[in-house]
Amino acid sequence: MSNVLRPYLAAVRSTLTAALTLENFPSQLVERHNKPEVECGTSKEVLLNPLMISRNENERVLIEPSVNSIRLSIKIKQADEIERILCHKFTRFMMQRAESFIVLRRKPVKGYDISFLITNTHTETMLKHKIVDFIIQFMEEVDKEISEMKLSLNSRARIVAESYLTAFNT
Amino acid sequence: MDVNFRKIDIDAYDEDVLHESELYEADPRDPSQVLSEAKAKSASVRSLLSKNDISGALSAVLESAPYGPNVEEAKIVTLQTLLTIINTTKSTEISGVVKSLPQDDQDTLMKYLYKGMAMPGWGDISGSVLLGWHEKLTEVAGTGCIVRTMTDRRTV
Repeated sequence: MSNVLRPYLAAVRSTLTAALTLENFPSQLVERHNKPEVECGTSKEVLLNPLMISRNENERVLIEPSVNSIRLSIKIKQADEIERILCHKFTRFMMQRAESFIVLRRKPVKGYDISFLITNTHTETMLKHKIVDFIIQFMEEVDKEISEMKLSLNSRARIVAESYLTAFNT
Repeated sequence: MDVNFRKIDIDAYDEDVLHESELYEADPRDPSQVLSEAKAKSASVRSLLSKNDISGALSAVLESAPYGPNVEEAKIVTLQTLLTIINTTKSTEISGVVKSLPQDDQDTLMKYLYKGMAMPGWGDISGSVLLGWHEKLTEVAGTGCIVRTMTDRRTV
C-alpha cells in the first residue's frame, strides 16, 4: 500500500516544498489590505503556474502557488458509493472545524474534495517542513481512515441485519 | 436604478495595465513553422529510439520546445513524442539519462512531466511512469527545477 503510494506522496512533498516560498505582499489594488493573492486573483503577475500531480483520474492534487499564498486541493480516491458518502461526511466534518486546523480552507475548490490555503503568515509562525509533513500525513491517513470506516460500516450493517432477521427465524 | 456599472473592471482600462503578452518574450517563430518542426522532431526521435539513444532523443525533443499561445497542436505533438520516449525507457536508466541533460532541458522536461500529470487518462499517459521520472528528476535537479517550472511563464 505505502509502497505504491510513495512516489505520489514524494512528488507532492517536493512540489509543496518548492511552492512554500512565500513572503508578505500587500494588495496592489486596495491600500492597507493584505489578501491571499491566489484567492482574489486580481493581479496576474503575482500568480504562478498551477501544478497538478496525479496518480490517475480519481487521485490528484492541484497546487496553485502565488507570491504570498498557495492553495492545495486534494481529490480523494472514491471507488464506490459508500466511499463517496464517507469521504463527503469526513471532509465536511473537518471543514466545519476549519479554524482549528488553521491551514484548512472552508470550502473545497471545484472538482476537488478538500482544499488547504497556506499564507505567508502561516509559514512565518509555523515551521515550513512541519506544514509539509502535516499535509503529507493527512493524505496518508485519509485513505486509511476511509477504508477503515467502510469496513466497520459493513460489519455493523451485517450485525444489524442478523439481529433484525432473527426475529423472523422463530 | 441600474447598478451594473459597478461590476465593470475599471482597472482593465488603466493605461499601465499589465497584459498577458508582456509577462514573457513571445516565440519568434511562426505557429505553422513550429508545428512542422515538432513533427520533424517526432520522426527523428523515432529513429534515435530505434538506435536506443534515449538521452539523444530526449535532448532533441526538449531543444526549443514550443511555448506560448497559438501553438496548441505543436505542444500536443511534442508531448506525444516525449511520452513515447519516457514510456520506452527502463526505470533503471532514468537517473543516468536525466543527469546527462543540461539544466535548461531538465527544466523543460519537468514542465512536460507536470503537463502530462495535469491530463490524466489522456492518450497513453501512465501516472506511475510520470511519477517515477519526476522523483528521479527532482533527485538530480533539486527543488529549484520545480520552482523554475512554476515561475516560468513560457508554459509548454
